[in-house]
Amino acid sequence: MIEIKGLTVVRGKRIVVDNFSATIALASITAITGPNGCGKSTLAQAIAGDLKYQSGQITIAGRELQTITLEEQAELRSVVEQNRNYWLSFTAREVIAMGQSKANLARMEGVMQRLQIAEYADQSVTTLSGGQAQRIDLARALIRDTPIYIFDEPLSAQDSQSKVRVIEEFKAMRSAGKTLIVIAHSDRESLSWCDQIIDFTHH
Amino acid sequence: MRKSFIALALLLVASVTGLAFGTSDVAGVWQIIFSPFTDTGSLSHQIVWELRGTRIAAAILVGASLGIAGTLAQGSTNNPLAEPTILGTSAGAALGVLLGVLSNLVEIGSVGAVLFAACGALLVTTLVFSLAHSALSLITVGIGVSAIVSALVGLTLTAVNRPDARSISFWTFGSFALVMPSDLLILAPLLLLGALAAWKLAPRLDLLSLGDAAVRHIGQRPQRIRYQSFIVLSILVAASVSLVGIISFLALAAPHIARYLFGPRNRSVVLNSAIVGALILLVADIASRSVVPPYELPIGLLTSLIGAPILIATLKRGKDVWR
Repeated sequence: MIEIKGLTVVRGKRIVVDNFSATIALASITAITGPNGCGKSTLAQAIAGDLKYQSGQITIAGRELQTITLEEQAELRSVVEQNRNYWLSFTAREVIAMGQSKANLARMEGVMQRLQIAEYADQSVTTLSGGQAQRIDLARALIRDTPIYIFDEPLSAQDSQSKVRVIEEFKAMRSAGKTLIVIAHSDRESLSWCDQIIDFTHH
Repeated sequence: MRKSFIALALLLVASVTGLAFGTSDVAGVWQIIFSPFTDTGSLSHQIVWELRGTRIAAAILVGASLGIAGTLAQGSTNNPLAEPTILGTSAGAALGVLLGVLSNLVEIGSVGAVLFAACGALLVTTLVFSLAHSALSLITVGIGVSAIVSALVGLTLTAVNRPDARSISFWTFGSFALVMPSDLLILAPLLLLGALAAWKLAPRLDLLSLGDAAVRHIGQRPQRIRYQSFIVLSILVAASVSLVGIISFLALAAPHIARYLFGPRNRSVVLNSAIVGALILLVADIASRSVVPPYELPIGLLTSLIGAPILIATLKRGKDVWR
């Protein structure tokens, strides 16, 4: 379980997240929605352990996040960031494999098949479309076996067919006991596959 | 792999050419080259093997060091424009040596001078990186800090006027004219050490190309990878700068040429930018001493003159993406 209590994040002089609380259950999919610039990516970064927060608490399985080491965090959660730019022409396969353990690499082919990356696996990442590149980041996270997954707008560049496929993948992960946090700016109706929707507009 | 062998073969051809041609004409030069162990006491033998041979070896070692240094600079900062002269590494090394020499603690060509250079290089590189907050500001800050440090080097030289501290031209364009055979004993082991360390760091530099957050997300520390790279980079640049001065541009060009020819994997870039760097610097050195004999042209200028068209040609032949 992830427990967020009175979380406040200040960036520069701006309070981006103000006294936010939420509870995220095990083996569930939680969507965090809101318009651009409302701070939902900042919230995702805070939960991912990427930035310090000024007050409040984030506890994962009873432990305060800021006391968990970087190495332990990596065992706890996988993260998909928003919009990555590539400047080196590595192949899709090379990018997915970077820094991964043997166990993760063993899952690679299966994940690439399911996300339909196999057809462009040996193409340079600098030549891919936004949607194709986004699925590479998804694959980097999905081949990892962690209890928690944090996705920042994982569907923003996907066409309707890929969306369905990725959502099926998410549901299967939930069935396998994984906890998923998905940042999205879609409306409620299109997020019916989520167990909980947190509207971040007013935080 | 085949292209690497072609590059190595070219390096061999250039080395032999370098032995054969120089400021003075040596009678029976080919015989001396192909039978290196006969008649070793003669003047001709000394010119070919000791004078020219030392320079050739130094050019190869320095070129390879700068090629690897450029790979580390670009990989560790995840910035295609980074190189030792822009990051302040070279100017820092020069200032380090100069301070060591002027305080009479070390002399040029010694291990101590390399140590002073390495400290200066690491300090200035770390300063530049800590002042920068984006890819663009890294370059801007780097150029600014380099300018300050280079100015300090120039002003100090003008003020003290000591021949053992070398000339402004040496610290600006580099020179192989004063290279001694003993210098090779400093350059070679440091290059070997730096190359091995860079080879070991290379897969982590691949990962770093995905950005700091991606590195942290799998439990590794981007800053640690970066500072390990800075240390190796500083040692490689220190060895070169303290012995032959500052040669700019090569460390920028060699990794890019290597990436275009051999792909972006950093292990491949480490190996191949070393070969490319060595080849360009060797050809530049041969040109510098054979174009207008007996005068010697500044090596830094010829490196740019030869390296830049190769860089532009390879970039032009490739697609419009960074490799």
